[in-house]
Amino acid sequence: MTALIEIENLTVAFRSKGREVRAVEGVSLSVEARESHGLVGESGSGKSTILRAICGMAPVTGGSIRIGGRPVPTPRGRAFSTEVQMVFQDPYASLHPRHTIDRTLSEPLAIHGLPGADARVVQALTEVGLPPAFRFRYPHQLSGGQRQRVAIARALMLKPKILLLDEPTSALDASVQAEVLNLLNRLRAEQGLTFLMVSHDLAVIDHMCDRIMVLQHGRSVEEITRDDLAHARMTTAYARSLFDASADRMLDGTTEPTS
Amino acid sequence: MNLLEVKNLRVTFATETGQVQAVRGVSFSLGHERLGIVGESGSGKTMTGRAVLRLVRPPGRIEADAMTFDGRDILHAPEREMRALRGKRIGMVMQDPKYSLNPVMTVGRQLTEGLRLRDGLGRADAAAKAIAALEAVQIRDPRRVMDAYPHELSGGMGQRVMIAMMLIPEPDLLIADEPTSALDVTVQAEVLSILDGLVRDRGMGLIFISHDLRLVARFCDRVLVMHKGLVVEEIEAAHLLEARHPYTRGLLNCLPRIGGPRGPLPVLDRAGI
Ligand SMILES: Nc1ncnc2c1ncn2[C@@H]1O[C@H](COP(=O)(O)OP(=O)(O)O)[C@@H](O)[C@H]1O
Ligand SMILES: Nc1ncnc2c1ncn2[C@@H]1O[C@H](COP(=O)(O)OP(=O)(O)O)[C@@H](O)[C@H]1O
Ligand SMILES: [Mg+2]
Ligand SMILES: [Mg+2]
Repeated sequence: MTALIEIENLTVAFRSKGREVRAVEGVSLSVEARESHGLVGESGSGKSTILRAICGMAPVTGGSIRIGGRPVPTPRGRAFSTEVQMVFQDPYASLHPRHTIDRTLSEPLAIHGLPGADARVVQALTEVGLPPAFRFRYPHQLSGGQRQRVAIARALMLKPKILLLDEPTSALDASVQAEVLNLLNRLRAEQGLTFLMVSHDLAVIDHMCDRIMVLQHGRSVEEITRDDLAHARMTTAYARSLFDASADRMLDGTTEPTS
Repeated sequence: MNLLEVKNLRVTFATETGQVQAVRGVSFSLGHERLGIVGESGSGKTMTGRAVLRLVRPPGRIEADAMTFDGRDILHAPEREMRALRGKRIGMVMQDPKYSLNPVMTVGRQLTEGLRLRDGLGRADAAAKAIAALEAVQIRDPRRVMDAYPHELSGGMGQRVMIAMMLIPEPDLLIADEPTSALDVTVQAEVLSILDGLVRDRGMGLIFISHDLRLVARFCDRVLVMHKGLVVEEIEAAHLLEARHPYTRGLLNCLPRIGGPRGPLPVLDRAGI
């Protein structure tokens, strides 16, 4: 059986000021259907670029990306967006400030010429735990957590199989983060979704993902299961330094800061 | 005598829709120690920190029963006296370095300006001191950073430059408002141990503002937990895990933990607080 997401030897290089910046180099990754896979690493390590490359929003210079066994088309096109959707870190920047929530949610349906937008908008809001009346609001009339719920609702409008989640809770308070993570897990179970999720917070990734890839300078340095992570069975010094510095370990009161 | 004494501090904003009470009667004292202030966004942490420096802009208004720094009344001190304290004896690292660094001045000039104007150091001496401060915050190529403009720095770099700038005058009190929130965890740990060292070696007082209970528990001696402008609990950091207040407990419990249970995370019961 082939995995739902198969990335082989992916290389992404940006041209910046005449210089080539290799944001991702030779990364291979496969994610089974209904699996939740995490990407961690310091900022600039290429996590977002991998997600963007899948969506056709980064200059792929090598390797291949297959979804459901088929190479992704360039440009990605409409069929792709019914299969794969992305949720970004900053829900404020990713929602159009002058569009009502209703318009934001019904637009994907309109683009694909799908009927029944009205009922679907109400259903989508309910699914993410927002009152239907919120459809008449604008993003600035919502809290950060509510905006992220809208962004998740929008990503689910076309019933995709795969959600690419780029730091979806990094801008939220811990209590709101908990609500959004619970929502994502519930939706994954209910809708049989597959997640590829980026976070700089190892505890969040641990809570959400079955397997984790650790990235550094655009390369994969280690892939580790959740169980191995919990028992600190990482094999590289870099993965261990992330683990040691994870704020969540500071609650134990037994760990000294790395200095 | 305590370094800082704050009694019944209130910060109020007059808005079109009435009075917004950002801080509603906060009291605390600080010695040569690390005091953490935690709470969710909007709980009044930043306004508490800024009020100590009397840096709340109108229509915000500061009131208190008393506010003293090193025995001096900083509630009624003339603005001229406050300006002399700010930056020199009380430093503040702001939440967003982008707005705190001057965008049209190189880092080097910003770091050396005070040394040259205030302390009368020559160009070379001031530069040497600035470079030493950048090295103290683990900036590896301080000479390049000296020549850079703020927009050419990453968030983490900008935040470290801010900390370096605040440390140059060797303040007695540093107010650090989410100083590490924009940093990677490994860099975060580095910056925190720098601050840690300063408290230990120089006897500096530190007010460490953060929304991250875990960080505060690890790096502070004492913690104030704020909720809606009030301190709901004051607790020794080492005993944070035994906190009693339902709000503090709620904030602790909603955090995922490595190797923790996989079920739904407990969420804050806002009605119960
Ligand atoms: N559009 C772009 N142009 C030039 N360089 C880029 C661009 N996007 C990302 N990069 C570079 O690629 C590297 C990886 O970035 P990114 O994937 O955003 O990292 P992460 O999400 O892990 O923080 C960084 O060095 C970044 O500066
Ligand atoms: N200029 C302003 N006008 C009205 N309310 C304000 C203003 N600035 C801040 N506030 C309010 O003060 C409260 C506390 O803000 P702040 O101290 O920044 O919170 P925190 O730092 O804990 O996130 C918030 O509810 C905020 O809405
Ligand atoms: Mg990113
Ligand atoms: Mg704040």
